[in-house]
Amino acid sequence: MKDYRITFEKRGRVKYISHLDLNRCMIRAIRRSDLPAWYTEGFHPHLYLMFPLALSLGAESICEVMDFRLTEEVPDDEILSRLNASMPEGLKAISVHEPKYEAQHIGSACYDVTLQGENLSQFWNDFISQEQILTEKKTKKGMKTIDIKPMITIEGMTAENDNLCLSLRLPAGNEGNLNVTVVTDAFQKYAEKPILVTKILRTKIFCQNGEIFS
Amino acid sequence: MLKDKIEQYLLEVQKPSRYSGGEVGQVVKDKSKVDVRFAFCFPDVYDVGMSHLGMKILYSLINERENYWCERVFAPWTDMEEVMRREQIPLYALESFDPIKDFDFIGFTLQYEMSYTAILNMLDLAGVPIFQRDRGETIFPMIVAGGPCSCNPEPLADFFDLFILGEGEEVNLELMDLYKEMRDNGATRSEFLKKASQIQGVYVPSLYDVTYHEDGTIDAVTPRENAPATITKRVMVNMDESYYPKQVVVPFIEIVHDRVSVEVLRGCIRGCRFCQAGFLYRPFREKSAETVCQQGKALCESTGYDELSLSSLSTSDHSQIEEMLDQLLTYTDERHINLSLPSLRIDNFSKSVMEKVTTIRKSGLTFAPEAGTQRLRDVINKNVTEDEVMRTCRIAFEGGYTQVKLYFMMGLPTETDEDIVGIAQLAEKVVDLFYSMPERAKGKLQVSISTATFVPKPFTPFEFEPQTEKAEILRKQAVLKKAIKSKRIKASMHVSDISQIEAVLARGDRRLCQVLYDVWKDGGYLDSWDEFFKAERWYSAFEKNGLDPAFYANRTRSYEEVMPWSHIDYMVSKKFLIRENQKAHAGETTPPCREYCGGCGANKCLGRPCFP
Repeated sequence: MKDYRITFEKRGRVKYISHLDLNRCMIRAIRRSDLPAWYTEGFHPHLYLMFPLALSLGAESICEVMDFRLTEEVPDDEILSRLNASMPEGLKAISVHEPKYEAQHIGSACYDVTLQGENLSQFWNDFISQEQILTEKKTKKGMKTIDIKPMITIEGMTAENDNLCLSLRLPAGNEGNLNVTVVTDAFQKYAEKPILVTKILRTKIFCQNGEIFS
Repeated sequence: MLKDKIEQYLLEVQKPSRYSGGEVGQVVKDKSKVDVRFAFCFPDVYDVGMSHLGMKILYSLINERENYWCERVFAPWTDMEEVMRREQIPLYALESFDPIKDFDFIGFTLQYEMSYTAILNMLDLAGVPIFQRDRGETIFPMIVAGGPCSCNPEPLADFFDLFILGEGEEVNLELMDLYKEMRDNGATRSEFLKKASQIQGVYVPSLYDVTYHEDGTIDAVTPRENAPATITKRVMVNMDESYYPKQVVVPFIEIVHDRVSVEVLRGCIRGCRFCQAGFLYRPFREKSAETVCQQGKALCESTGYDELSLSSLSTSDHSQIEEMLDQLLTYTDERHINLSLPSLRIDNFSKSVMEKVTTIRKSGLTFAPEAGTQRLRDVINKNVTEDEVMRTCRIAFEGGYTQVKLYFMMGLPTETDEDIVGIAQLAEKVVDLFYSMPERAKGKLQVSISTATFVPKPFTPFEFEPQTEKAEILRKQAVLKKAIKSKRIKASMHVSDISQIEAVLARGDRRLCQVLYDVWKDGGYLDSWDEFFKAERWYSAFEKNGLDPAFYANRTRSYEEVMPWSHIDYMVSKKFLIRENQKAHAGETTPPCREYCGGCGANKCLGRPCFP
């Protein structure tokens, strides 16, 4: 029995698959690949699969992570080629390795966000210069107002014509998570005009210690 | 590109991957190398349509032909429909994202009557004229339909170019071949239809004139242009040689029947007199155990599904059921695959089959005694005795089951209050049985009773019978409610005008086309969903067109009456249906086909007795 972690891309129209559906889709892909998958023992054995960090519906990614277990050791390149042969268009395993960190070590994630609309860089600068950026968040006790400003780190920004490309680093994982769509929704609300979110791409997942999650 | 435009709006709607395609198993071809394109439309949402076995068979079958391309189309849910109308997105096929109005064929499957309004809406979303007469002489798109409701296609006659009767595996390709040839030679729509009407199983409604008597019944259906006076359905004679897919599309979202299925047999030996499928799909033909196992394995391997279902009208009637299960279980156990048997019968549900199934999963059991007393079960020829129900429940309880669902119909021919009270008594006996068993499973027993209003259907011995009216059904429900004593029994009995509308459409004639059109114009769409069905829309459309729903649904028809489907032959003879109707009223049963041939006539396509 051996644990494996793959890093995979989720790009194109598979971005419309929810987290739950992705889970089912991966189970079937592993079953089709005929890799010697490990099943849980118990009354209803199921194929063991774990996603350390979920991705929101509509977002793409080049750094998704999935853990699974095989009953015997299989060479890395064979795992990759067999998985890639059985995965649907848009899902692609890039690398396979032994898990180094655990899900609870995840601290933040980076996103490239492309927005479309007139004068967006001006609006964005105004938006982000506010003292507080208050948004409503659904909690178990009902709606709660939170300030997301301290949670947003801007790592890059380019504007061309009506396109604004942002690189954002946001908290992720158990210790505090900010969904990137919360930021884009807040911005759309602030700008009070139609802004098209043309792309959200997760580019990196970091641990709390600053290292890439692997 | 249409694809990019659609993607802009997908995050506005629920379950966007209903509309984005790209699943494992979908067939994408180079359209420059394709001669004939077929849009296979299911007039309901993706989650429902993707569960339909017939579509999977025909999709793969057409796509086996290199130069033909079949794609999938489903009805958009109302949120997506709104987006499509607002943004002027035409109805498109999931594989290519091309608008279907440019396809050669747009084919609908007619699985249930209440889907008809969705068909009209889909044609409109596609940008195709709703009425056949408005489509002009350009040969494409050819609007066709098949599936069980084609047995009485008259309420849809004005909307379709042609209907395909019976099993489509051969005739679909014959039609496409003829189309390709004629289109390449510059034929018009009507020229093609004239020629197509000569293919067995193809019904071109525009080639038939219908005249009516003063009382509203049909006087005659007269063919024109050499069209056949009787149109006979198509049948695949040999199930082992009949095409079956090795690969199917694997959806991303959870669908209604989320599993692969192998069809183990067609037809049914039981002859329950209310059951349309039991007559439409005759004669009885089964696949060998070997074929079933081979096809099941191929599908599990190509899709990665962990559930395999053996589907048919009555899987336990397969002559090699035990062998088949033994063979399959060796494979499925090892691969962590659940085997499900959705249609088992009470009477031959043996202990060994039971054990085989329970090694896999343990959940509730569902039985359909259909009627509460032996007398009424004899009338409807549901050859199940109370002893058999009890015996099976005993096996089930010993096997650890604590939930039993019992399905019944209300408003069956000859039904009295005694039969209604019998439903409660039967359920009470099941409860008593459970508590009398010292070896019963732990936990609380729940017996659920569910009742549905009987809808008389064409090509059944009850096609002559009136449907019971809503007020009377409500009274019967009250009788049943009063008769239930045990707290372990839960009865769900909702009543809806849908039953009457379904009855009207099932046995309706061509004059209903205008009613359907008016209902759709008035906003009718996805009427099979309770939340969208509005009875007033239908009743006002009947009134507007001077038609009485009771004429279609609640009237006794004589044996001599010309039915709207009298010119259609599903191989079960009218003489046989009359004989069965008479036996029903006399309370006489007809044994299963395997024991005794009732002489329905369906074996004529086999050229031999069904059970030599």
